[in-house]
Amino acid sequence: MAGKSGRSISNVPEKAIRKNILSWEGMLVVVFILMVIFCRSISPNFHLENVLREMPKYLAEAFIMLPMAYVLILGEIDISVGATVCLSATMTCMACNKELPFIAVVLVCLLVGTACGLINGLVLTNFTELPPMIVTLATQIIFRGIAEISLGSGGSVSLTNTDGFRMIAGKVGIIPYIFFLVVILAVIFAVVLAKTTFGRSVYAIGSNRLAAYYAGIPVQRIRLIIYTALGFMSGLAALFLTSVLYGANTTTGNGFEMDAIAMAVFGGISTAGGKGRLAGGIISAFVIIMLRIGLGQINMNPQLILVILGALLILAVLLPNIAGELKVKKKAANTK
Amino acid sequence: MKKKVLSALLCTAMVATLAAGCGSSGGDSKDGEAAKSDDSGKKTYAIVTKAAGNPYNEKEAEGFQEVIEAEGGECIVKHPEAATADAQVSVIQSLISQGVDSIAIAANDENALQAALEEAMDAGIKVSCLDSKVNADSRMTFVNQAGTKEIGQALMDAVLDITGGEGQWAILSATSQAANQNAWIEAMKEVMTDEKYSKLELVEVAYGDDEPQKSTDQTLALLQKYPDLKLICAPTTVGINAAAKVLQDEGSDVKLTGLGLPSEMAEYIGDDDAHSCPYMYLWNPIDVGRLGAYTSIALVNGDITGAEGETFTAGDMGEYTITDAGDGGTEIILGPPFKFEPSNIDEWKDVY
Repeated sequence: MAGKSGRSISNVPEKAIRKNILSWEGMLVVVFILMVIFCRSISPNFHLENVLREMPKYLAEAFIMLPMAYVLILGEIDISVGATVCLSATMTCMACNKELPFIAVVLVCLLVGTACGLINGLVLTNFTELPPMIVTLATQIIFRGIAEISLGSGGSVSLTNTDGFRMIAGKVGIIPYIFFLVVILAVIFAVVLAKTTFGRSVYAIGSNRLAAYYAGIPVQRIRLIIYTALGFMSGLAALFLTSVLYGANTTTGNGFEMDAIAMAVFGGISTAGGKGRLAGGIISAFVIIMLRIGLGQINMNPQLILVILGALLILAVLLPNIAGELKVKKKAANTK
Repeated sequence: MKKKVLSALLCTAMVATLAAGCGSSGGDSKDGEAAKSDDSGKKTYAIVTKAAGNPYNEKEAEGFQEVIEAEGGECIVKHPEAATADAQVSVIQSLISQGVDSIAIAANDENALQAALEEAMDAGIKVSCLDSKVNADSRMTFVNQAGTKEIGQALMDAVLDITGGEGQWAILSATSQAANQNAWIEAMKEVMTDEKYSKLELVEVAYGDDEPQKSTDQTLALLQKYPDLKLICAPTTVGINAAAKVLQDEGSDVKLTGLGLPSEMAEYIGDDDAHSCPYMYLWNPIDVGRLGAYTSIALVNGDITGAEGETFTAGDMGEYTITDAGDGGTEIILGPPFKFEPSNIDEWKDVY
């Protein structure tokens, strides 16, 4: 079956591609270094202090990329995260304006995010025949709808008391807290994916769900955990986004899902499932952030920046495939 | 094992580049003070629009740029990636990095830019807004294209006049959180409480998000939902243009008024049934931009601080006084809105 073979790990071109992806992270590090040198040369203001100051808003998306990588490796997709961010941020601002203690506000934010993820997970694991793209498209509309209803006719809510959020947006020296949190969580997510049974199960499910099921892997439980984790991380992203925006509106979190997916795919994580490593996703997140900050500083047309990012993405997907095909051809020629 | 050593090496290289590569000029910047992008003493003035492709904003930027360059300054025109506050935050952050001297912004959200703009002001950048304001804490002053009350009054009188004093009408706005749109709609509702307007029924405020397609869809939906609708008032250039096309194409009896660009609306303005819009209002966006530029220059030169009662000369535009905006901040009002009607549209349509 053509559909299945895309996910199997047994045929020849697959191996060639996998071999290529192993060195993908190495290549990304080189790209990152070149990118920093490039940005440094085009913008005199591209130095550590400015880069770290501009980073928090972009890092909120990196939070989402981490569990999104798991979802992609499962061979699935979640396009509801932007709406989850919007709903969490909205509820957070409303809770904060009700003068709840700040710790309760943080809890509301994380709980709303987690609940959204849990809903996605429950629907997808109870009705396994439903495609994740459609389910999360539906929940995207629902979450954003609830947010818009809560926001009312004004369409936006702003914090009356920003003290707690100013604390979150704080820095150690010139390094914002969010940077440390992203690094710590990235290490945790990467280690779990690469070194634990849970992580191996994710790859197994992504490679061949049926085989994984017959091998005794609790497929549905793992999917539920991952979607819930994605919701939780979206809540976390909403928390930090709120600390940047001091409020929420109907456009909050727009496009976060696609940015997170782009970061992961550029990092060599296949949307077909079963392949890729989180290290790639993390490095590529920083490559993209550097590019945006650097090109932003020379006042390049933002639409052009999007075009460049899109072109890079296509290149990132194409390269391993072309390289893989070349190797297959070479091998075929040799065996003749 | 080899692989582990290699990856450790690569990681170290990455961190080292980040620290060395970006850090090499880190010493230039003093605490909190943004590094100046040039040492020649030429001041840099930035204007941030709501989104690329917004013709009204582009005219403002044009006027802004013209004045800044004529006065010997350097002008940066920045469009955000999307028409959202999120995207404008990135733009402001980037301008802080570049060490500009002033930022004039047409805001996509009244409150969401506060953290970023406060940071800009802490870095010594003079922040003002034009067209669509930010809250009082986020700005030094606001260049208001026309008093909110004057616009509400002008639009309501147009509604009263065109409908003949009674019947159903609807508003087609931009996004639901656009501060200027909401202020004008509020002002219209305020005016409507007067006895004179009691036979008018506002059936819906629709939001076209300043996207042509969505505005078109919203207009069609209004026509379908309210068969007795007599008039649509669109206080947004994108919305009025989309609605005008729909009404004229459909041959609808529903009339249109609002705020629109003369160049885009010329073919729809006329007194007869073949035209959908008898008359509309706007001010000159080029003048808004020019006044914005003179305001930025006055702020940077220290002539004004944005406090109520201060006066300054805006080149050939004359003397302006900073007044209380009623939201805890101050504003500079350009003047009353200008009426575009069949008799004058031809001379204006080529201007902007």
